[in-house]
Amino acid sequence: MALVNVSGLRKSFGKTDVLKGVDFQVERGEVISIIGPSGSGKTTMLRCVNLLERPTGGRIEVDSRVLCEEQANGSMTFADKAAIREAREHIGMVFQRFNLFPHMTAVENVIEAPIAVKNVPKPEATARAHELLEAVGLGHKGDSYPMQLSGGQQQRVAIARALAMDPTLMLFDEVTSAVDPELAGEILLVMKRLAEQGMTMLVVTHEMGFAAEVADRVLFIDHGRIVEQGPAADVLQNPSHERTKAFLHAVLDRAPMEAEVEEAAEGLVDDLLVRPERIGGDDDGS
Amino acid sequence: MSDWDWPVVGRSWDLLMEGTKLTLQLFAVSLILATLLGLILALMRMSSISPLRFISAGYVWVFRGIPVFVTLLFAFFVARDLPGLSWLTPIQAGMLGLGVDAAAYKAEIIRAGLLSVDPGQHEASEALGMTKRHYMRRIIVPQSIRVIVPTYMSNSILLLKATSVAVGIGLVELTGITRQLSNSTFRPVELFTAAAVIYLVLTTLLVVPQEYLERRFALKT
Amino acid sequence: MDLDLVWEAIPLIWKGASTTASLTAWALVLGTIGALILALMRLSSIKPFRWFAAGFGWLFRGIPLLILLFFAFFALPDLNIGIVDGILLEPFQAAVVALSIWTAAYQAEVIRSGIIAVDPGQAEASEALGMAKARYMRRIIIPQGVRIMIPPYTSNAMTLLKQTSLATLVTVPEMTLLTQRLFSNDFQFRERIAALALLYLAMTTVFVVIQQVTERTFRLKV
Repeated sequence: MALVNVSGLRKSFGKTDVLKGVDFQVERGEVISIIGPSGSGKTTMLRCVNLLERPTGGRIEVDSRVLCEEQANGSMTFADKAAIREAREHIGMVFQRFNLFPHMTAVENVIEAPIAVKNVPKPEATARAHELLEAVGLGHKGDSYPMQLSGGQQQRVAIARALAMDPTLMLFDEVTSAVDPELAGEILLVMKRLAEQGMTMLVVTHEMGFAAEVADRVLFIDHGRIVEQGPAADVLQNPSHERTKAFLHAVLDRAPMEAEVEEAAEGLVDDLLVRPERIGGDDDGS
Repeated sequence: MSDWDWPVVGRSWDLLMEGTKLTLQLFAVSLILATLLGLILALMRMSSISPLRFISAGYVWVFRGIPVFVTLLFAFFVARDLPGLSWLTPIQAGMLGLGVDAAAYKAEIIRAGLLSVDPGQHEASEALGMTKRHYMRRIIVPQSIRVIVPTYMSNSILLLKATSVAVGIGLVELTGITRQLSNSTFRPVELFTAAAVIYLVLTTLLVVPQEYLERRFALKT
Repeated sequence: MDLDLVWEAIPLIWKGASTTASLTAWALVLGTIGALILALMRLSSIKPFRWFAAGFGWLFRGIPLLILLFFAFFALPDLNIGIVDGILLEPFQAAVVALSIWTAAYQAEVIRSGIIAVDPGQAEASEALGMAKARYMRRIIIPQGVRIMIPPYTSNAMTLLKQTSLATLVTVPEMTLLTQRLFSNDFQFRERIAALALLYLAMTTVFVVIQQVTERTFRLKV
């Protein structure tokens, strides 16, 4: 039985259909990278898995709990509030913009939910928080406030915060997009180690290197549909679909693009230096 | 040329202080009332139950739309006829009128503060499985206070000054006693100047807790 | 509540509306002129100007309008300093003076913060393009500042309209005074005050609508 079962997932915002029927399963211990152009619906799809977005159609089941289901007449039934909270306890999520609680230290960020939601005694939660911060390389930063940390450090605290709930599934939503490129590595390293330890992970990302190296499977989404999916090596190196090829070409082959820019720029140089005396003057320049 | 009689302020000092005491009482009680009522109204406005939102929006529209003087006239002449309010003394009517009026402003300030918190904070709390009650109390409200304090405090200065309107329903607070003294001593310049200085001292002193609170709730960077 | 008594009171109280409106208009015009001068003084490089404007704001935003009003009405006639030997003001004039000073003190702050809220990069970009200060203030900074000023300016103007009710206490025959005369004759407090509240609510709601319309008109196109 797969850990995550999504079928016929649809989501529209007003008249815009963002997801147009998505089906996929995630097995326990599997790491899946979700790639696709911006606006393709990949983030919306991820946010549906823990019902931060409420689907307008389809069925989502996580760890044998049905979170939402479309009825025969097309209406949606959702699990009740308590059941959704119960499910979320087991689904960790890491956001693009960290969303750490800015008025709490790193340790306080990590222990808040275990104490409030799972009634873990404070000393126990604190000891575990220190272990987790140690594991993400921030053992010395426990008393720091979020604004005293770099983006990469904040994101690692956010990962520790999610792990403190002992999740069976982790959702990562473009977690390196808001940090300086040189700090992305430290986050990806933590994620890679997590994958090696057998965590089930759904990772929306632009980092093709991570997808190639760590992911078991890659889903390529475009225009609200899964266009292509399969083992990372197949999809990334041998895409069968034209749209996948075009996307990977644009993301991976930067060099030809730079050449194009140079070419275009050369054509512009003269135009940018138009001088008054040249306007309306003799035409022999052309 | 000048025929000042500043000692008249000294001779009237005890009465001026009596008036100041009532001014501060009116201020303190109406501030507490306004804050509690404002908080309830702000939460109603953000509730998912539409009649509650509707009532709260209507309350704010009405009391921001009519002068505090009119609210005070209502509290003084009419409130006592309402069921359960027959015990209202004139001073209590003044406190009620000022508090009910100021609550509309406090509600807007509190609501704006709660809305100023990044929606990502709600999402992160939800994703961690926290109940709304829990994360409002632990995550959202503490962050909103930083935004609320400055406007809340400057609005409270307005409330302190608005207590002077109670003179219009016959309360002898600082402005009322000053008017009476000026009528009986024929020394309006000296006495109104003294009253102005007392108000200035009070409103300037209110800046002190504001600065303390702003420092207390600042984010550590 | 006897609704007939409410409706009957409305035309009687409405007779004071023109006084309420002209108090508001006078104070808004005079106060805004004062506010502009104070805001420019506050932003000037000449220290005494800055001090004067800051002191004016601190003083008149620190004391209740009613003290100002009573001072203008009761104390000015007795004020003897130098060439000034008592200024006797009619009730309406005293109210305009007090309300104008109040408006100047509050709107000066609105104008000042509107101007300083404009991104300093705008001034830098204008300087870099070689524009003179007078020109870019007029063409670049002020148009952007006005957009920021509109909401607080309108809400202060609405407060001003409500504050004119205090002129009752120096016997200006505006709406609130007419209402008090009505109910002190017939003791129909509830209905008369309700009618007064309705009239104020209608007038202030016009302000809210104006505010929303102007905000929409001046919003940046995105």
